[in-house]
Amino acid sequence: MSTVLVNGVTKSFGRTTALDGVDLEAGPGVTGLLGPNGAGKTTLLRMIATVLAPDRGTVTLLGRDPSRPADRTRVRQRLGYLPQEAGFHRGFTVFEFVDYVAILKEMTDRRPRHDEVRRVVALAGLEPVSGKRIRALSGGMRRRVGLAQALLGNPDLLVLDEPTVGLDPEQRLRFREMISHAGEGRTVVLSSHQTEDVTALCARIAVIHQGRTRFVGTPAELTAQAAGRVWTDTQRAPAALAAWRTGDGTFRNVGDPPPGADLIPPTLEDAYLLLVGASEREVTAA
Amino acid sequence: MTVWHLDPETIRRYAQGAAPPQLAASAEAHLIACADCRAALAAHVDARRVDTIWHEVADRVDAPRRGWPERALSRLGVGEATARLVAATPTLRGPWLLAVAGVLVLTALAAQADERLLRTFLVVAPLGPLAGVAVAFAGGLDRTREIGLAAPYSALRLLLIRTAAVLSVTVPIVAAAALALPGSPWRAVAWLLPTAALTGAALALTARLTPVVAVAVVAAAWVLVTVPIAVAGHVDAAFGSGAQIFWLAAAAAVAVWLAAARDTVAINLGRTG
Repeated sequence: MSTVLVNGVTKSFGRTTALDGVDLEAGPGVTGLLGPNGAGKTTLLRMIATVLAPDRGTVTLLGRDPSRPADRTRVRQRLGYLPQEAGFHRGFTVFEFVDYVAILKEMTDRRPRHDEVRRVVALAGLEPVSGKRIRALSGGMRRRVGLAQALLGNPDLLVLDEPTVGLDPEQRLRFREMISHAGEGRTVVLSSHQTEDVTALCARIAVIHQGRTRFVGTPAELTAQAAGRVWTDTQRAPAALAAWRTGDGTFRNVGDPPPGADLIPPTLEDAYLLLVGASEREVTAA
Repeated sequence: MTVWHLDPETIRRYAQGAAPPQLAASAEAHLIACADCRAALAAHVDARRVDTIWHEVADRVDAPRRGWPERALSRLGVGEATARLVAATPTLRGPWLLAVAGVLVLTALAAQADERLLRTFLVVAPLGPLAGVAVAFAGGLDRTREIGLAAPYSALRLLLIRTAAVLSVTVPIVAAAALALPGSPWRAVAWLLPTAALTGAALALTARLTPVVAVAVVAAAWVLVTVPIAVAGHVDAAFGSGAQIFWLAAAAAVAVWLAAARDTVAINLGRTG
């Protein structure tokens, strides 16, 4: 049974349609939502995190219906959530803040709660700064605090909204390790607009663009969609959807190649560009 | 390499804390290096006592000293988990409280010079605590709102804890300002029961609306009803003895409803849509 089942979900904010009939299914392992800024990823993740209800369609989480208050509480007991802009009580220390979220997660017995706080603080590599005020931490460290609170109570479903945004390359690698570890034996749904993160972490991906699901499958399947549509040339091809000069001076062109083009193996980023670019053309034509 | 071992009697006395200091120091130095003797010692040690000591040590090292609000609440008998939730209430921040205090004190002082400003004070006074409840759940001020919304903690309990925390701080501020009012002493307390009733009404509305919207609805209704009364000079209609009985009844009704519906009511702290 899928941990996350989203069927025909629609959500509007005023006149803006954030999601327009989105479907998604996610089970154990890491599932990535890929899409440009404003695609609807955060709206979808907030629904999976039970903080937002759809206008139409159904969301089933861990076999329960979060529109029912009792089911919603049951889901929340097995859920970890890192919002895109996780806020902190900056006057709290790392330990105090994670402890505060542990209380909100109904861990009221002080001793086991403190044991659990120590465990997740260690998992996120925060032991050296456990007693530091959050306002004194760097952005990367704060992101780790966000991940630590999401891991409290070994949740069966982990929802991470742009977990690597704003991190330097070394921090991103460290985060990937932590997320990969977290994805062993539980369902992780994360969003990103970084194709490298998705390639590195996700067994399945869904590309969301302009509120719709454009692709669902494995990274390899998405990459394969760009086979025969990436080529190098000494100049920028006018018909290319995207083209850029590479380090060796040649142009990498993505789109419909001319006859005899020097085709090269595509990457996930190429396939993503083609998919999102094609969607935009559809919208423009309409 | 360790070639000798502590005799069983020394181990027993050491475990019980009955060994003389020199013997205890010698045994301790040996235990650090000898796994066999440590294993023998383990059989004499109360595991629960060791566990308790370990947690006390770990708490001293990991868990920092709690802030004064949490320590003060604990001394008053508030549980440490509840004290942490109170400490995280956004309303209990200096700048916001100072703003409320400033507005009310200025209004109260101005009322010395003009009777109309006295009426303004009575209309405005309940709005301070009421706005404090809204601020406690406002998205822009509650930094951890999104994380809190996805947590399973009882929304009603959190609502009551934060409301109680807000009232326990804002009501004394309003009361202090009210002491500066001119005229009969009843005016210094006439706003109390309306405040209780309005806060109760806002709490009841959170079964349908988010706290911020619920407070806005109640505050708007209060202003719409009381401003014309105050302008017309009929202060007794809203704050007189008859009105006070009405406010008391309204506050009691909400309290009874909350007590009766506490297990069934679904409070909406901000899940949207």
